Amino acid sequence: MTTHSTELTVGRPRRGSIGTIFESLASLVERRRLVWYLTISEVRNKGTNSLLGNIWWFLDPALQLFVYFLLVSVIFQQAQPAILLFLGSAILPWKWFTAALASATTSVRGREQVMRQIAFPHIVLPAASVLASVGNFLFALVPLGALYLLYPDRLTPWALAVLPVAVVQFLWTIPAVIALSAVAVFFRDISNFIPHGLRIWFYLSPALFPIETLRAIGARHSWFNFFVDINPFTWIFSGYRDALYYGRSPEWGALGILALASIPVTLLTIYLFRRVSPLFVKVL
Amino acid sequence: MAQRKSTRTKVAPPPILLTGLGVQYDLRLSKKRKLRDTVLRDGRHSQSGKFWALRDVDFRVEAGESVAVIGPNGAGKSTMLQVLAGILEPSVGKVEVRGKIATLLQLGAGFDPELNARENTLLVGEFLGIPHKEMVRRVPAILEFAGLGEFADAEVRTYSSGMRARLGFSVATSVEPDVLLLDEVLSTGDAAFIEKSRGRITELMKRARAIVFVTHDLDSAATFCTRAIELEGGRIVADGPAKRVIAAYKKKMAKRAATASRSGPVARRGN
Repeated sequence: MTTHSTELTVGRPRRGSIGTIFESLASLVERRRLVWYLTISEVRNKGTNSLLGNIWWFLDPALQLFVYFLLVSVIFQQAQPAILLFLGSAILPWKWFTAALASATTSVRGREQVMRQIAFPHIVLPAASVLASVGNFLFALVPLGALYLLYPDRLTPWALAVLPVAVVQFLWTIPAVIALSAVAVFFRDISNFIPHGLRIWFYLSPALFPIETLRAIGARHSWFNFFVDINPFTWIFSGYRDALYYGRSPEWGALGILALASIPVTLLTIYLFRRVSPLFVKVL
Repeated sequence: MAQRKSTRTKVAPPPILLTGLGVQYDLRLSKKRKLRDTVLRDGRHSQSGKFWALRDVDFRVEAGESVAVIGPNGAGKSTMLQVLAGILEPSVGKVEVRGKIATLLQLGAGFDPELNARENTLLVGEFLGIPHKEMVRRVPAILEFAGLGEFADAEVRTYSSGMRARLGFSVATSVEPDVLLLDEVLSTGDAAFIEKSRGRITELMKRARAIVFVTHDLDSAATFCTRAIELEGGRIVADGPAKRVIAAYKKKMAKRAATASRSGPVARRGN
């Protein structure tokens, strides 16, 4: 016969805002293995159920790059040297972000069954989606690296700076995925809106054209500059492009501020997620 | 109304204690608008679109008790179990459950179809918050009990629903709980497995400090449980020794069926 525990397992009193955030972070550490299992499962499930399986991890970004190459270089005839690298340094990271948001819309909603049956910290679900999305970036590095075969003279040691820039992007992916995963529970229509919203965001970021194009608009309408400045992807794309395309140092100051700014935003979304998470089981 | 035992002199806190508990659903948020029709009739539904699935529930389970929760569909039985399991948070009042909990609600929740039995066992163990090492140690016994044979290495998506349920049952009952929460799972798989699972549940019931058993099977409730509570419209309307409460409930239901103009059979299973 085992000794019985009389520890309070259900019904711990609710904590304040700091306590709530701390509790969520602690549960992520405690359930790190669950986060990891869910990550693996998400990565694996992407590869199955298709003829080419895991090849899509490479093929997907490569094809997307090709589509934009057709649009920009062949149809709009934009004269940009090493155009594929110019586009790839922004499009491939962007693919990571869109994939992360796409999986965010289903990360909580899709686990309805288990949420009804087992009490566990729901934050592990978006956390796993964030981690799984990193796979998109890692695999995109392969076609990106292959582009240097076309433009070997563009490869400089600054290409390594792609990693800190990716960290900044990762830091902003976390709150975006957590927030969207919760919102998608209450408003299913959000998954219809997301692709369009993302496309607008993409065109307002310096991805298919240099930052100067946006600044030129800003010179005529000063309010536009404000939106360019607060858009994290203005700085993230510029960072990637500096490292990969121009072969020069990214603007560390701007990236550093961006990284720091992500922290309060992330903590706030974690707090809000925890506050609305009791409603998930009721709504789903 | 409820006649609770007043054994408050005990030193150890009771395994289960609900005080003034209420669980409210906001129907504007959930898409289950169909509920509205049933809800409108019994007045639990206010103009604002809010609905009390449980209301003013005071419920105390002492160590050694096994309590059957009975009542018609939509009375709040499953909601109560979800609150006790920590899946739902109460809107008002307090819930206190002490000790390790095992919940047998629907079986096989949390399984990933692309993983095999062993991996799924570990995955569900993580969902349940069981330490990894302990879970690894339990895996052979769990797979053994589920009786999957050569399918243990195959992905769960290739399983029949019976096999899936058997694995789910084995995982869910592998813990030694202080508090056992059951929601009609005694009929799982084929006849041989039902026999085996009954044995396992009886064993767990013997060891657990407190049991809450939601069921429509009144006869097994009367044999398994020492006490019964009847829920109706989200409130406890009867509480006492299992045999007495269940007998009274049966009488009430029979009377109700007789007076009902359309004598449609009452559905056997809640959702």
